[in-house]
Amino acid sequence: MSDNSEDSSAALQRYNRGGLRVTEALKILQQVPKDAARYQVALACAFTPLHLQTFLAACLQRSHPGRRVVVTPGLYGDTAGTLESLKETAVQAVAVALEWADLDPRLGYRATGKWGPSVLADILSGSRHMLDRIAASLERLPSEVPVAISLPTLALPPLFHTPGWQMVEAEVALRQNLFEFASCVARRRGSSLVNWDRLAQESPPGSRFDLKSELLTGLPYTVPHAAAVASALARLLAPPLPKKGIISDLDDTLWGGIAGEIGSHHVGWDLAGRNHLHGLYQRLLAAFAEEGVLLGVASKNDPSVVRQVFERQDLYLASSSIFPMDVSWNAKSAAVGRILRTWNISGDAVVFVDDSPMELAEVSAAHPDVECLLFPKDDYAACGALLDRLRDLFGKPRISSEDAIRLESIRRSSELQQTSHDGSSLEAFLQQAGAAVTFDFSEGDPRVLELVNKTNQFSLNGTRYTEGEWGRRLAGVSALLAAVSYRDKFGPLGKIAVMQGWQEGGTLRIETWVMSCRAFSRRIEHQCLKMLFERYHARELFLDFRPTPRNGPMRDFLAAISGSRPDGPFTLTRAEFEKNCPALYHSVCEAQFNLSPTP
Amino acid sequence: MNDIADRLIDCFQTVFPEIPAAEIPNATQASVAAWDSAATITLLNVIEDEFEVQLDLDLLPELTSFGSVHEHLCQQMQS
Repeated sequence: MSDNSEDSSAALQRYNRGGLRVTEALKILQQVPKDAARYQVALACAFTPLHLQTFLAACLQRSHPGRRVVVTPGLYGDTAGTLESLKETAVQAVAVALEWADLDPRLGYRATGKWGPSVLADILSGSRHMLDRIAASLERLPSEVPVAISLPTLALPPLFHTPGWQMVEAEVALRQNLFEFASCVARRRGSSLVNWDRLAQESPPGSRFDLKSELLTGLPYTVPHAAAVASALARLLAPPLPKKGIISDLDDTLWGGIAGEIGSHHVGWDLAGRNHLHGLYQRLLAAFAEEGVLLGVASKNDPSVVRQVFERQDLYLASSSIFPMDVSWNAKSAAVGRILRTWNISGDAVVFVDDSPMELAEVSAAHPDVECLLFPKDDYAACGALLDRLRDLFGKPRISSEDAIRLESIRRSSELQQTSHDGSSLEAFLQQAGAAVTFDFSEGDPRVLELVNKTNQFSLNGTRYTEGEWGRRLAGVSALLAAVSYRDKFGPLGKIAVMQGWQEGGTLRIETWVMSCRAFSRRIEHQCLKMLFERYHARELFLDFRPTPRNGPMRDFLAAISGSRPDGPFTLTRAEFEKNCPALYHSVCEAQFNLSPTP
Repeated sequence: MNDIADRLIDCFQTVFPEIPAAEIPNATQASVAAWDSAATITLLNVIEDEFEVQLDLDLLPELTSFGSVHEHLCQQMQS
C-alpha cells in the first residue's frame, strides 16, 4: 500500500482512465478455445514483460478471434539477442518494446554502472553499436513477418551534468542515433513504428514510469502505460481495415455558410472569414482523394448553386475528385443509398459527415453500418479531433497504384451501367470496350494479399491471411497464384482479381478467389475461369466456396455458371462452364504465370 | 466464507484457472506450480482491479498463500 494517500488516489484515477485492465486481459485470453490454431508472436524487450506481455496477447487476441495468440518474450536484458535468435518460421509477428537500457544498461536504473561525464562517450558509442545490431537482426527477419517497434517511451535517468530542463549535447547525439535507427528500420517492408505523439496522448509521459516496479520486478512501466504500449504495438501488427469512402454534406461542412442563401461567392473556408475549419476539412479530403479514398457528396441544395461554388478556383478540393455528387432536396439517406450502390461497397466501409445532428440521425437510421460523424463547425477542438479521427479511419500503411485510379474506374463503371440502362445493348458495349485482361504471377506484390484480405463481396470464402500464411500457401510445389489486371478503352482498373490454389492431376483446387467490386459487369470472372481451364488443361475446378454474410455476388455468379446454387465447396466441370459461359470479348495476355510442375 | 474471500477466490481463478475453486482457499505458492513471482504480481493487479485498492509491491515476499493474501487484504480494507 502506498504511504501517500493522495498519490494512491491519483494513481487509481489514472488507472481507471486507462484502457484494458489486467483482469479483462486475462479473461480475454482464457476464453480462447485450447485447440484454436496458434498465432505466435515474439516480444523482444530487455525488461521483465509482465503486464506488457498479457496486454499484447489480449489486444492481438481481439484482432484474431479464431486463433490462439501466444506471445513469447525473449531473454531479459538482451533485445538484440532475442531478435537474432528468432527462427524463420517460428513466429508470425514480432513486437519490439525498446527502452534506453536496451542500448546500454547504464541508461536504465537497475544496472550499477557508472554515470557521469567520463562515461558518456562510451555510452554513446555502445548505444550506436547496439542499435546497429538490432537493425541488422530486424533486417534478417523474413520480410513477410510483420514487426512493430516502440522506440523508448521513458525519460532518460539523470546521468547528464545539466539540470533536467536542459537537453545536453550528449542526449541530442543519443536521440540522433535513435532516429537514424528508426529511419533505417522504417524502410524495411513489414516494419512499423509506434507514433510517439499518439502514444503521448494515450499515455502521458509523466505517468509512464514506475521506479519501484522497475527495481522490485523489472517492469519499468505503470500498468496503464503497459496497456497503452501493448495496444499501440497490437494496432501496428493487426491494423483495422481502412474505410473506403467518405460522403460529405456541403453547406456548413465542406464550406462555411449556406450557398443557397448567401450566394456561391460568399461561402468560405479561409482564416479571414473565420471559416478556416472548413478549409482544413477540404484539404484533408483532397489528400484522401489523392490516396484513393472515394469521395461523394450528399447535399440538400440547388444543383446549379453547388455547381457555381465548385467553379471557384480557390477551393482546395476539385469537383473532379468527387463522384457521385448527389444534390437534391430529397432525404439524405436516399442519397447515401444511391452513392453506396454506385460505389458498390457496403456501409461499414463508409463515413458520412454532416453538421446537422438531425441529418446524421436520419442517415444512421437508414444505414446503421455507416459511421456518421458530426462536423462541429463552431468547436475548434472538436473539429481538430474530427480530422484526427478521419485520418485514423482512412489511414493505410501504403498507397498502391490502384488507389490512384479507383475513383475514375468507378466513374467508368457507372457510365457502363448507365449505357446498358439507357437501352444500348450491354453486349454491344462489351464488344466495343477494347478490354484486355492480363494474368500475372505476382507473389512479391503486396497489393495481392491486400486485395485478398479486404474483398468481401466477390470472395470465394472470405478467408483472411497473414503474410506468413500466404507465403506458405504459395510455397507448395504445385501451387498457383494468378493476379489479374484489366484495362479497356476508358482506362485501367489496375490489379482487380486474385486466384490461388494448386493442381492435382486434372483438377485445379481453388482455395482463394477474390475480385474487386469495381470490376463487376465486365465478365472478367468468366475470363478467369476460362483461363484456368485452358492454361492447365483442367477437366474440373474444385472451388472452396463457403457462404459468408457478404459474398452473395460470388454465390450468384457460381450459381449462374454451374447451374445450381452452391452451399459449400463444389466441383465445376469444364463442360458445365462452357455451357453456361456467355461470349467473352477480352483480349487476354499472360505477363507471367507460375505453376511449378507436379512432381 | 465471507464476501472478501469469495471475491478473492474469483481473483485466484482468473490468474490460476486450472485450480478448482474448492481448492483455492488451501492454495500456496508451494502447492501451485504456476504460482511464481510473476504470477504473484499479476494476482496483485487482479486484486487491485477487483477491490479498487492499491497493494504495495513490498508485500510480494509475504503473499505466498491464499490465506496470507486474504489476511493482508482484510487489513487493507479495514484501514
